Amino acid sequence: MSPDRLSSTFAALADPTRRAILARLASGEASVTELAEPFEMSMPAISKHLKVLERAGLIARGREAQWRPCRLEAGPLKDISRWVEHYRRFWEQSFDRLDAYLRALKAKEHKERKHGRKPRKT
Amino acid sequence: MGASRARPSVAANPAERELVITRVFDAQREIVFRAWIEPEQASQWMGPQGFTVVSFEMDVRPGGAWRKCMRSPEGRDYWRKGVYREIVAPERLAFTYVSDDPIGIPGHETLVTVTFSEQGGKTLMTLRQTEFESMAARDSHRGGWTSAIERFARYLAPAA
Repeated sequence: MSPDRLSSTFAALADPTRRAILARLASGEASVTELAEPFEMSMPAISKHLKVLERAGLIARGREAQWRPCRLEAGPLKDISRWVEHYRRFWEQSFDRLDAYLRALKAKEHKERKHGRKPRKT
Repeated sequence: MGASRARPSVAANPAERELVITRVFDAQREIVFRAWIEPEQASQWMGPQGFTVVSFEMDVRPGGAWRKCMRSPEGRDYWRKGVYREIVAPERLAFTYVSDDPIGIPGHETLVTVTFSEQGGKTLMTLRQTEFESMAARDSHRGGWTSAIERFARYLAPAA
């Protein structure tokens, strides 16, 4: 996965209008006119959003000259789900260490209590 | 010519794009909670096996920043930072998490929410980390975003 592509995916998704466009496309192909309909936006403004989405690989445009339908592309969405795996490993390992740390803390407290000292408060 | 509408089998369930980990720790929740918000304690465990935390600064209050540096076994330093969003001791902690290098995304930001609940002297800890929540919070379009994700999920789900 290319980091540049991933960040362009995130950048493209970080806009409510573009997400609404993607949501609309999730229910099927649509023309630019159809996509523009629910928004109080000029066609050039919508076209600009579509260009961002297209550059990010989130949508593809049909080749037909007259009616260039837009459709959703799944690839980049697949990439962004990979960060989840990265962090899963990070936290799982951290929590193993946290578990060991808390056990050590408890053992220490028991030992201190046994020796008649007050448990250390941190 | 009809464009082919391939339906890739992508793990697009919204739940799968949100990381959720639950664990039970054999310690009281005040103790588990403190292990997150005291730098000298958090430095003992936060990081993959073999990593050491060489610095950890925390300004534990809503809006306060945190920043840490982890050193890999090979001696490479990794910086992480973020901002605390919520601190409700000893129940709940939320902070943003920004890292420059886990997958090579400059400024890749996620929101981490950790909840702590008592379970007979033990603590059930639930960590959620999500990309979309932090975006939603940023532009306050949470509802719209959630429904968008649900629609992606339906779209991307392999046809039965």
